[in-house]
Amino acid sequence: EIPGAPGAPLDVQCLDANKDYVIVSWKQPAVDGGNAILGYFIDRCEVGTTHWTQCNETPVKFARFPVTGLIEGRSYIFRVRAVNKAGISLPSRVSEPVAALDPADRARLRKGVVPGPPTDLQVIEATKNYVVLSWKPPGQRGHEGIMYFVEKCVAGTEDWQRVNTEIPVKSPRFAVFDLAEGKSYCFRVRCCNSAGIGEPSEATEATVVDDKLDIPKPPGR
Amino acid sequence: GAKAFTVSAGKHAKFRCYITGKPKPEIIWQKDGEPLVPGRRHLVYEDREGYFILKVLYCKPQDQGLYICTASNTAGQTLSAVQLQVKEHRLRF
Repeated sequence: EIPGAPGAPLDVQCLDANKDYVIVSWKQPAVDGGNAILGYFIDRCEVGTTHWTQCNETPVKFARFPVTGLIEGRSYIFRVRAVNKAGISLPSRVSEPVAALDPADRARLRKGVVPGPPTDLQVIEATKNYVVLSWKPPGQRGHEGIMYFVEKCVAGTEDWQRVNTEIPVKSPRFAVFDLAEGKSYCFRVRCCNSAGIGEPSEATEATVVDDKLDIPKPPGR
Repeated sequence: GAKAFTVSAGKHAKFRCYITGKPKPEIIWQKDGEPLVPGRRHLVYEDREGYFILKVLYCKPQDQGLYICTASNTAGQTLSAVQLQVKEHRLRF
């Protein structure tokens, strides 16, 4: 720290980002060191590297600066230093990282990927009171937790109704209650994550809701 | 913006990051744009569940700042950032 130099600028933010430039703004330091602030230097660092580059050759006076020369899609952090006749301040705290992307691309990336349909959907138990379904998660699902919506339909119609309307299911199995006795149903399952709800699985064969008890298969078969 | 977390001064702060990629990504931890050098107060490791961990022991006010974990392999790069705040105790007499 140089005696008489200003304090570090405050609150460095990225106001507007696109693939060609990022507008960086900041607040003037609380302390000017007794000498008027002549201007500011803006530094940038590509995230993942540790190389800070000074963006402007001569100090800028206005507390806002468009940084150009960025590589599209890369992320950057910024810091600012204040200058007076005594010297240069310590750098400010760094800004949050910002990617050199157009807003539309940013929105598209942020949205994430909707999961595909689950596979191997089966009725593993069928009684007159309930039907138990089981399935496998889709192959590509990332690390984000996946959840499921189960749908039923009276066989022969295309009138699909969501069974668990409120709460998505977390396990790849589900018991469906409240089926009408004597009717025949098909079932299908959709995956969902924060990006949205995916396409449905293939529907099961029609399952008749009746007295016929589901007799477990003997073990080892 | 990055999420902010607060830790009391003197306590440990643990940063946990799950990353997948082929080939397996290399991880860089940074604080305020500077590399984090592992040391007695800064532990960097991969845990049994495959999470990349940064542990800052006995947090001090100067540990406050922006922590970024960057993962890169031959296919590209991705990052995750969080802001750490250190709350100091007020002693009452």
